[in-house]
Amino acid sequence: MSATVTPDTAKATKKNFLNALKEALTEEMERNPMMIIQGEDVGLLGGAFGVTEGLQEQFGTHRVVDMPISEAAIIGSAVGMALNGMTVVCEMQFIDFISCGFDQIVNNMATYHYRTAGEVNMPIVVRGPAGGYSGGALYHSQMNEAWFANSPGLQIVCPSTPSDAKGLLKAAIRSGNPTIFYEVKNLYRDSKIAEDLPEGDYLVPLGKAAIRRPGKDLTYVTYGQNVYHCLQAAETLAGQGIEAEVIDLRTLVPLDEATILESIKRTNRLVVVNEAPMTCGFAGEVVARMSDLAFEYLDAPPVRVTRLDTPVPWVEPLERYVLPSVDDIVNAGLRVAKF
Amino acid sequence: MSATTVSAKEGHKPPHQLLSKEDCLEIFKQLFLARYFDVRLIKEKKRGRLKGTLYSSHNQEAVIVGSLYGLESTDWISPIHRDMPGFFLKDAKFRWRDENRIGMSIKEVCSQVWGRSDSPGRARDNWSHIGRRSANIIHSTSMLAGTIPVAAGVAYADRMKGGNAVVVTYNGEGSTAQGVFHEAINYAAVHKLPVVTIIENNQWAYGTPTHLEYSLEDFARRADGYGIPGLVADGQDVFDVYDKVMEAVSFSRAGNGPSIVECKTFRAYGHGDHDDDRAAKYRPTQGVEEGRKRDPIAICRAKLLDWGYLSKEEAGLYMAEGKGSAQTTNEDFPPEVVEYLNEGIEFALASPVPPAEEGGKWVFKEIS
Ligand SMILES: Cc1ncc(C[n+]2csc(CCOP(=O)(O)OP(=O)(O)O)c2C)c(N)n1
Ligand SMILES: [Mg+2]
Repeated sequence: MSATVTPDTAKATKKNFLNALKEALTEEMERNPMMIIQGEDVGLLGGAFGVTEGLQEQFGTHRVVDMPISEAAIIGSAVGMALNGMTVVCEMQFIDFISCGFDQIVNNMATYHYRTAGEVNMPIVVRGPAGGYSGGALYHSQMNEAWFANSPGLQIVCPSTPSDAKGLLKAAIRSGNPTIFYEVKNLYRDSKIAEDLPEGDYLVPLGKAAIRRPGKDLTYVTYGQNVYHCLQAAETLAGQGIEAEVIDLRTLVPLDEATILESIKRTNRLVVVNEAPMTCGFAGEVVARMSDLAFEYLDAPPVRVTRLDTPVPWVEPLERYVLPSVDDIVNAGLRVAKF
Repeated sequence: MSATTVSAKEGHKPPHQLLSKEDCLEIFKQLFLARYFDVRLIKEKKRGRLKGTLYSSHNQEAVIVGSLYGLESTDWISPIHRDMPGFFLKDAKFRWRDENRIGMSIKEVCSQVWGRSDSPGRARDNWSHIGRRSANIIHSTSMLAGTIPVAAGVAYADRMKGGNAVVVTYNGEGSTAQGVFHEAINYAAVHKLPVVTIIENNQWAYGTPTHLEYSLEDFARRADGYGIPGLVADGQDVFDVYDKVMEAVSFSRAGNGPSIVECKTFRAYGHGDHDDDRAAKYRPTQGVEEGRKRDPIAICRAKLLDWGYLSKEEAGLYMAEGKGSAQTTNEDFPPEVVEYLNEGIEFALASPVPPAEEGGKWVFKEIS
């Protein structure tokens, strides 16, 4: 895996999350003539959210392909293309619809390298808009990363900033491993997080977490839009004299255990936050691993803050009720801090 | 049985010829009702009184009205995002307000659209994902074509109960690419289940034209592959839709199994109202103008005039056709249509938003 290139801020311009993704796709398409993008409405329309806008004009209809509404064909054909030497980025119109291509992912794509004793690589990224807090209801709000974390062979990535979105997407495309790439749709056009993107061939290594805020009293581990909720919670706690560290995992599989462990060694307290349901969710995995690796450093039982074990309902008060709030995160922080 | 024989029987009268004048006028009025629902909701959104996305059925009303009109009260339906008016038009013939009909009321549908507690699902899922078991309306998910196997199961259960219901499912032509579309119809064919799969072929699946969705002239040919009848209707002509769906429904009710009815129509505006501006870019203007020309209200009006069911003077009233929602006013619709929707909207606005804690309820049936 290539190392992080130092950003050349002098030449950079402010970009939002969506533009960062588009830039990553454009650069990788230019770099690799055997790479294609396929999905529903990615060409003529330029994607439901516009991530691929302009790419079909630039690369042609045979490289930016409008597919029939069949997630199984979108992903299954990518497996064949990869088998025959291509690199494929598959767009799910919403990540929720990935369920319709589930078999091709977990049984075919995820296991190919394994069952061929390493003969075959699967340079495929299945990416799409994800997440709640958006009034999207049951089928336009999901974070279903746990389904795939439980399927060995899949890398799972969930960036929270434009530059990570760019660097991680490029790294995932080049990694040669199949990747499920969660894009927080709420962040796509969020101008508050728009930033100067490093120019040049900017890659962010997979499996490396980022510390978004340093702290000494407790550690929040999270990813996706909950990063911003944890930063807000840390701000609130700081007002009460509690310094929380915020770790953005960025990559779930492979997991950067070392960064979390090192943090716990300093803070001795752990709160893990994810917006998916609690039972068998990724937060539980982090807690389990740290209960093992960091037991001797923990001064309080690790705590999870997650969605209730429910679907994501539509209307706002109900949606907010089931999803983790900043208050929930603050309270969990207080609970471990005061244990 | 070959694909098109059902409608080609010698000396067979098209079902719509058996409709009374009153029926034909009711059908005409239901077209207005469907159109008004659409334009009114867009207006409500523009006024800022409503959130959410409307997948407009403007110009596709004949498919909904024509397919529902001949059904029995006890039949089941599964409308999806494009078919919002179908929820309140089921079993509505001459009795829009009858609380005992087996269908949803305009009050329930508006409560759903506005996200209020008087929606049957208490606004837990959005706009088009409604239904009510006691209204014989199947609740869809977002996953396209996902209601067809459910429809087949409903049909199976009805047969187990000794019923005689037919289940009518609605699907866009784009959704026919889903594996479950094939799997479900194949199953229904094997078990001769009374499932009528309507394909609303509006020529576009979001930003994708039909030649990139499937490689067929008529979906009737796909029916051949399952050994079931496939019919093609002019989706702009409410009476042709009525005829073809009635053929299919009678075939199913007689115990012969499922069928496919393709209704050829045209999506007049964006995929959803959020997409209107982009649609203007990805769709050639000429094709759109062409597609909007055959307005189902105008076609129905001309027939009623021709059959003498409308006088020249009556036929000159309520010109809702050929206009976008912005150009349309309440005067373009029969007053009872406007009144019906007003009732629904007023009811919805008075209905409370469900309490937040309901978000945590009903994951499981409570075991006492
Ligand atoms: C399994 C699945 N994939 C993708 C989508 C996203 N999506 C919603 S509507 C739509 C287009 C549907 O086209 P069509 O079936 O022709 O129906 P229309 O909207 O034209 O009535 C798409 C791709 C979805 N709802 N379900
Ligand atoms: Mg369509």
